[in-house]
Amino acid sequence: MEILRCEGVSRIYGSGQNRVTALDDINLTVNRGEFVAVVGPSGSGKSTLLHILGTVDKADSGKVTVDGTDLSTLNPTEAAIFRRRKVGLVYQFYNLIPTLTVEKNILMPLLLDRKKPDREYFEEVVGSLGISHKLGALPGQLSGGQQQRAAIARSLIYRPALLLADEPTGNLDRKNSGEIMDMLKLSNRNLNQTIIIITHDEKAALEAERVVTIEDGHIVGDERRR
Amino acid sequence: MWKDYSWSSLKNNRASNLSVVIAAFISALLLSLLCGLFYNMWKYEIERLTLEEGGWHSRLEGDLDQEDIERIRNFAGIKEVAVTEGKGQGGGTTAELYFDHMRDVYGNTPRVAALAGISPETVAYHHELLAMYLVRDPEDPAPRLIFPLFLVIMAMASVSLIAIIHNAFAVSMNERTHQFGIFSSIGATPAQIRACLLQEAAMVCTLPVLAGNLLSIVLIKFLLKLINVFLGKGIPGRHETVFAYHPLVLGLSCLVTVITIWVSAWLPARRLSRLTPLEVIKYSAEPELKRRKSSPVLRLFFGMEGELAGNALKARKKALRTANLSLVCSFLAFTLMLCFFTLSEISTEETYFKRYEDVWDIMVTVKGAQVDSFEETRRIRELEGVKNVIVYQKAGAKRLVREEEISEEMRAFGGFDQAYGQEVERTDEGWLVNAPLVILDDDSFLAYCRQIGAEPGLDGAVIRNQIQDVSDPDFRHRKSGPYLKGEKTTSLLRLAGGKEVSGAALAPGGHRGERAAKIPVLSYAAQVPALREEYGTRDCYELVHILPASLWKEIRGQAGEGEEEIYVRVLAKDQASAEELNRLEEEIVGIVGNVYRTESENRMEEKTLNDRQIRGMMTIFGGFCVLLAVIGMGNVFSNTLGFVRQRRREFARYLSVGLTPAGIRKMFWIEALVIGLRPVLITLPLSTATVWYLLKMSWMEWPVFWSRAPFVPVAEFLAAVWAAVALAYYLGWRGVKTISLAGALGDDRMM
Ligand SMILES: Nc1ncnc2c1ncn2[C@@H]1O[C@H](COP(=O)(O)OP(=O)(O)OP(=O)(O)O)[C@@H](O)[C@H]1O
Ligand SMILES: [Mg+2]
Repeated sequence: MEILRCEGVSRIYGSGQNRVTALDDINLTVNRGEFVAVVGPSGSGKSTLLHILGTVDKADSGKVTVDGTDLSTLNPTEAAIFRRRKVGLVYQFYNLIPTLTVEKNILMPLLLDRKKPDREYFEEVVGSLGISHKLGALPGQLSGGQQQRAAIARSLIYRPALLLADEPTGNLDRKNSGEIMDMLKLSNRNLNQTIIIITHDEKAALEAERVVTIEDGHIVGDERRR
Repeated sequence: MWKDYSWSSLKNNRASNLSVVIAAFISALLLSLLCGLFYNMWKYEIERLTLEEGGWHSRLEGDLDQEDIERIRNFAGIKEVAVTEGKGQGGGTTAELYFDHMRDVYGNTPRVAALAGISPETVAYHHELLAMYLVRDPEDPAPRLIFPLFLVIMAMASVSLIAIIHNAFAVSMNERTHQFGIFSSIGATPAQIRACLLQEAAMVCTLPVLAGNLLSIVLIKFLLKLINVFLGKGIPGRHETVFAYHPLVLGLSCLVTVITIWVSAWLPARRLSRLTPLEVIKYSAEPELKRRKSSPVLRLFFGMEGELAGNALKARKKALRTANLSLVCSFLAFTLMLCFFTLSEISTEETYFKRYEDVWDIMVTVKGAQVDSFEETRRIRELEGVKNVIVYQKAGAKRLVREEEISEEMRAFGGFDQAYGQEVERTDEGWLVNAPLVILDDDSFLAYCRQIGAEPGLDGAVIRNQIQDVSDPDFRHRKSGPYLKGEKTTSLLRLAGGKEVSGAALAPGGHRGERAAKIPVLSYAAQVPALREEYGTRDCYELVHILPASLWKEIRGQAGEGEEEIYVRVLAKDQASAEELNRLEEEIVGIVGNVYRTESENRMEEKTLNDRQIRGMMTIFGGFCVLLAVIGMGNVFSNTLGFVRQRRREFARYLSVGLTPAGIRKMFWIEALVIGLRPVLITLPLSTATVWYLLKMSWMEWPVFWSRAPFVPVAEFLAAVWAAVALAYYLGWRGVKTISLAGALGDDRMM
């Protein structure tokens, strides 16, 4: 079943001499439960694509449908609610609120919806990410890897239809990145979670069942394995 | 969760919250002060109108009998009718109407008039009073501006206060835009962010707003007391202001403050909701220079640090604009006010008190007396503490000046060229000029003769023979010279305004109703007796005759030409205190007051009164300037503090590439210097120019002003401003000193 469809998506930054075509006529579909890795050289438009899928950025042309919702029709409030419930976004840099504890940071999407957190699921997520003992700390008191785990926990807490992660292992050592990849794979398999990750890491890309390659804003390769 | 978030943000952003608190406090204080003062002024005006003119709304006049009045009384909407008989202009009865609802006045009064059978023309409305309740007659053309004016002032104040609060909020917002971007990216709706901002604004501002309102009540009370003290005694019979504070005023000012704060919190929230979350997250708290700029002067003086400081200031020009503006404005207003007061003080002193120090201490005006028949002079002279007494009287006359009499100097000054109006009348034989007569009691006249070195005598007059160079516009430093050649030994006066008296021939060319009197001239002199009057200033061409009472008795003809008044001018012994003068004044009035009606003045008392009025004005204006300055300083303080706080990352970057802490301190010094010096550099030339212009207008000289120039208060003010800037930078420096390089840089805000 199809959960994501991009049709002719383009994104152009700047104008005149500074004009940069970050994405050029991207067409892509992803089915529910797929684990997709997006690879490509630096500056090829990977992050841009992810931001558009996560509605934190807007495409200049083309149509994006996520779980039956046409993103271009959303007003700011609807887009916010969509982000809160339908997608989990993990950024290259962790983007945690520095003045709130790790626990509050993780629970934020639920709290924004005035929902009572499911304690059991919460324990499971933080447990498997190995940050149970850091819940009371502030993000500034965590290491980079721990902050990234907290950000991933935050993106998973609402059980989103789509998990988008931008180089979640980019700043981590082999052991840490291996653990995080295992964790993502687990939730993909157990919860049938659809995941799109961007990575430079060969090994991480090999874990995915499908690898999409972007160059200069074009999709130049789409390889399904297994 | 929002509450948690807000609390922790408040705790973590004390500095920028402090600026919001200050801004909220000041704007609440000011708004409430304005509202309260206006309310009191309004109430006072109504009380005054009611006291002086009555509190009626409209008035009918004419033949009203009991039945008519009864009918008026029963008219719907009329609260009260006050009837006075026979007091109207036509001798008719007046009925003063009070309505239940003031807005019915203009509609219903004509109907009432028709009911009572009175022509609508006699209807009078109390426009002034009604206007105070904003009830206006469409046909009343007078602009009754108090109310609208206040509304305009309120609006202007609110706008400027919104700018201040908004600015303070913007600073604390900038620091957290990134965080709101994160919130937004994980699904916080714009409404939620707005609610969070408003809730935070409420948390931060409630206390300062309340405190500001309360303090303003105290301040209003104090100000009204000051006004009563300084102005109340100056105007006899002035209705005293009584402090009042209506809960509605409190409500109104709170409402305006709350709206102001709400708008300031709402504006950044709206701006945020217009950006995509990505833009918001990427939105760096560091404003960047739009174009490459350089600060050659600062680089020249301070090297690399100077250039960095200059660029930082330029990049944040907009944020610092309100601070700069309010600082410059308040400093300028304060300086100009002080200069203006100093000038007017010097001017009154020069033209009034100093000049009369040796001229008069007590002046008693005696009504209905003639100087030749006034008998109390001796008793006044014998009073203890009296140095000198002159009793004199003034009269008007005219005199012909012939071509051949005019002195060479007078001719050189342009003759009668500059005369205009009633001063000089050209006739065939010469010029008819005013000849004011100063009639001294005989003893004083003899003393005056001796003083000018003339042969003492009581059978002739002394002529003030002096004229200014009218062609010179600098009236404070005009040359003067003799008016006439001074050869003639008689003077032919035309006495004005008397009945024709037999025996007094009509002067040649004279008008009917004028009598001529030929009097001998004892002497021509430049000096006049030391009296308060000044001659030859208003009408430069007047030819003053000083004559003794005995001579006046002969020429004035019949007594009783209208009511006359004479003046008793008393000079007390040197260094008489205010109490002595008061005592002396009472004694003299006691002597003279038995027989005549008198009015008396006392120089010391007038001086104290004048001093007090000036001081009162200064207190009020100064208060406003200080208020202005407090806004400016609060603004500078909060802005500078926020400015420094915002730049932790910038400084961390400098430190990481090897700028030493001492270098950063130097940067701070340079920035503080630029911020602190700017108002001075702008104010100095402006106020110098203004003072120069004022001095030129009043023909005063620089040294006179220089010796009294308000350097100390201006320096104090400046010191306070610098202290505020320095404190802000010091606090900022403390924040930067403890910066953890890794923390500041590691908290990377890019995606
Ligand atoms: N805000 C922006 N303004 C202008 N150009 C931008 C902006 N953001 C991205 N770009 C440009 O768009 C292109 C794609 O950027 P993007 O961040 O998607 O690359 P990326 O594939 O994620 O690279 P990396 O692997 O280094 O993260 C780049 O050439 C970049 O310079
Ligand atoms: Mg990227």
